[in-house]
Formats: sequence, structure tokens, C-alpha cells
Amino acid sequence: MNVFHRMHDQDHMHKHDHRPVHNHNHTHRRGHSHDSLSIDQMAFQSGLSHINPGFKVAFSVFALIFLLAADNLAISLLVFITMYYLTVIRGGVSGHSYLSLLAIPLLFAVVTVLTIALDFSLSPVGEYHLHLFFFYIYTSRTALWKAFCLFCKVFSAVSCMYFMSLSTPVNEIICVLQQCHLPSLITELMNMIYRFIFILLEVQQKMSVSARSRLGYIDTRTSLRTFGNIGSNLFIVSMKKAGHYYDALLARCYDGQLNFLTEEKPLNKKLVLCAVLYFVVLSMILITLKFL
Amino acid sequence: MNRKEKNLLALCSIAALTIAVAPAANAMHIMEGMLPPAYCIMWGVLCIPFIAAGFMKINKTLAENRKLVVILAMAGAYAFILSALKIPSVTGSCSHMTGTGLCAILFGPCVTAIIGTIVLLFQAILLAHGGLTTLGANIFSMAIAGPLLSWLIYKVLNKTGIPKYVNVFLAAALGDLFTYCVTSFELSLAYPAAEGGFAASMAEFLGIFAITQIPLAVIEGLITVVVIMGLESFAKSDLISLGFITKKEVSHE
Repeated sequence: MNVFHRMHDQDHMHKHDHRPVHNHNHTHRRGHSHDSLSIDQMAFQSGLSHINPGFKVAFSVFALIFLLAADNLAISLLVFITMYYLTVIRGGVSGHSYLSLLAIPLLFAVVTVLTIALDFSLSPVGEYHLHLFFFYIYTSRTALWKAFCLFCKVFSAVSCMYFMSLSTPVNEIICVLQQCHLPSLITELMNMIYRFIFILLEVQQKMSVSARSRLGYIDTRTSLRTFGNIGSNLFIVSMKKAGHYYDALLARCYDGQLNFLTEEKPLNKKLVLCAVLYFVVLSMILITLKFL
Repeated sequence: MNRKEKNLLALCSIAALTIAVAPAANAMHIMEGMLPPAYCIMWGVLCIPFIAAGFMKINKTLAENRKLVVILAMAGAYAFILSALKIPSVTGSCSHMTGTGLCAILFGPCVTAIIGTIVLLFQAILLAHGGLTTLGANIFSMAIAGPLLSWLIYKVLNKTGIPKYVNVFLAAALGDLFTYCVTSFELSLAYPAAEGGFAASMAEFLGIFAITQIPLAVIEGLITVVVIMGLESFAKSDLISLGFITKKEVSHE
């Protein structure tokens, strides 16, 4: 009973089901490729899509936890290199798009890490300080080193997350959560929200194009008003659509349970063994570094 | 260095700091890998009661009205889109709305906690805003603390009889600011300053980001007011069914 796919047919909105066919040569505007939700598109085209999704999610989450618990520069770098290898070389994501995705958190990481590294004080303390008017900005060698380690850890953690999100489409991640016995209300909401995002995204894009053609973004004042108007229009459209979709669901015997046909992706035992070995090697490296 | 040169250097540093901070104005989310494991777990555990309350509330209303699940899903998708759009900003920086104030005013804090949790998970997976290990901290600041304050302000001021739009503006703007304060609190708790500890670090995070966050909060408030105005003129029946305006108010006009 694949209710939603038919619902989408009515709206010509099932494009993310066809996504693997699409050409993949769009360019990324730095940091803001929101219009196309490029991460989602890449996940459908990944070379790792035949691997069991539960395994991929478990691997990246375990790597994340290991990385944070280890809190070690060498481990961070090793995990980053592994994830880069898996995502770019095995997964087939182009190096350029991977780097531009990493640039999204770059600026924020720099600012936050600098805020952690630099401190303000009224008296000259620390190894390096800069006198400004009445206060000092100061830092020390250890603080800078710590900030550098944190910076590497953050990027390594982001690469773990990218491994998951660039190789596993969201509907498969939701299936994994379902297998973890998350309440069906939550997974149902997630499934619906995920599908509705694409529907509303198209509506929003049409509205903003027509607003632009009427000089809706000519200056700051107008563009703020346009933004707000699109916001309220979008809300009205979304509530209307919600009504239609509920009727469509009822017409197809919806009783509070959405069943999807999922592709069986068997767990490869060799891969599990590799993953276990990988973490054993990582922990051995960690132990050697800690005690030598 | 003589005095003049020193002053010049000081001015340059301040200008550089301001410009460097401006593009990172969507610093609401705590990034993946930023928090040590103990803090990830702590914030995650703190969120559980709120999410459980929201879950029970939704389950209860759902038993009466099944249509709600579709409406909630649409609201979640709406919040996702709203927070993914770039706000036309004065400084030219790219900044985003939280949208949670609007959600809290329309749907109440319990529902916002559940929807916000799912939206934050999708933001991490699809947009790389926030992360998986920092999900707990982000849920606490963006889906619980901020909306809760917005909702409280809205409810309390509603009784005092100040104009509705002023009320909506205050609720959304202060909720936005409060979200930012909680984020600063979470970061400075994990990374206290070497000198002066937690308090110094908190002041620093607040001070540095306040430059961009206060105008953003004002913008968020203004946009929320415009959205509510639009809804009141075009979607009165929806607002009545959500309980945002009562039938009595309609008949008064």
C-alpha cells in the first residue's frame, strides 16, 4: 500500500524518487545550495547505496562517539582521512562538492574556535596579549593548541556525519530508526515531513520567482516585507495542501499506518569484520599514543 | 609603537572582529563535534521530559482527530523551509530565521518540541546545520527553551491587553534572543575561559555574537508579525481551528 507515491503523482512531485536519473552537474554556490538540497541528491547517487543502511548509520555514529571520547588529534586526522576515502573515493562524491560542503561549517567553526582560544581580561595575563583601550585580548600556547585540536575534531566529526548523509537517503535512515523501535508516531511524522519539504520547497521557489519579477526584493524594506508575505502565503498553502493530502490518504484507507516497500539490502559480513578491525586498530593506536 | 599606532591597531582589530563575526550570524546551531561527550549526554537527557510531554500531548489529540498528524507534518516542513531560507539582511551576511517562535505561538510549546526535534535532525542531515552528537544541546536551545519563552511571553502579554502585533513581535524577538543566550550558555559551560572561568566565557560569547544577534532578533520579530498579519487576513478559519484566535474575537470585528 504505497499511499504516498500516488499522492505525489497528483502533484507531479515525486522527483526525489527519480533522482538517480538526473544529471549531477549543478554547481555549488558556496555554503548555500539550499535550493536544491544537494546533500539529499548526492545520497541517492552514492556508490555506497547498495550497502545495508543500518550498517552505515551504525558505523558513522560509532566513529563519531569514538572520536569524541578519544579527543586525540591523531585519531581525528585518521578518522577524517577514512571518511574522506569512503565518501569521495568509494562513494563517488566529487572532491569539489565535498570540499564545498565542508565549507558550510568552516566559517562558523573558525569563529567559535577563536572565541574559545582568545579571552578578554583587564590585566595582562597569558603568553600573548594585545592591549586595546582598557582591556586585553590574551591567549596562551596551550589554549591555541587546544583550539587547533578542537578545530580538527569538529571537521572530523562533520566528515563522519557527511559519510552518513551522503551515502544514505533520508527514507532509509528513517527505516533504520524504525528498526530501533522509535515510536511509529515519530517515524510517521518524519516520513511525512521529509516528503512535504520538497512540495513546499517548489511552492516557495515559484513564489519567490514571481515576487522577484515584480521587484519584490528591490531594497531591504521591500524584501523584508516580501519575505514575510511569502512566509504567510506558504503557511496558508501548506495548510490547504495538508487538507487535500489527508483526504487523499483517507480515500486510500489510511488508518494511522504508512507502509513503504523497502529494498532489502543484506548485511555484508566482510564489511562488518572490516569495521570491527578498523576500530580495534584505532583503539590500539589510541592506547599507544596515550601511554607512550 | 606609539600611542597613535596603538589606537589604530585597536580600531583595526575591532573592525576585523566585527566583520569576521558577521557572516557567521546563523551561529544558532552548535556544530557537530563541538561538545565533549559528557555534555552531549547531559543536554540530551535534559530534553527527554519535554519531548515525552509533547509526545503524550500529540498522542492524546491524535486519538480525537487523526487529521492533526498531516497538519503537524506540514507545519514541520514549513518550519524547515522557513529556517533554510536566507533572510534579506542589512549587513549582507547570510542569516536564517529560527521560525520556532511562530511555531510556538501557533501550536504551543509541547508540539513545537516534537516538531523542532525532527526538523533539527533533518537540518543536520540535509543542510549540515548542527549535528548528531550536538542534537541534544540544539534541541534544548532551539526547540525547547526559545519556544517555551516565546509562548509564555505571548500568553502573559495577551492578558495585559497590549496590541496583538506588539505582543507577537516581542514574543518572537525575545524567544530568538533567548535561544541565542542558551546556546552561549551551553558553549561556555563546555569551554570556560582560562581566567575568570565560566562567567568570563559566557560574557564573551554573548558579547561577540550580540552584535549580529540583536538585529536578527528584531528581523525575526518583524517577519513573524508580517506572517501573522497575512494569516489573519487570509486564513482566519485555519487560525480558529488552531485556537490562535477565538470565534468571539472574529465576531467583534
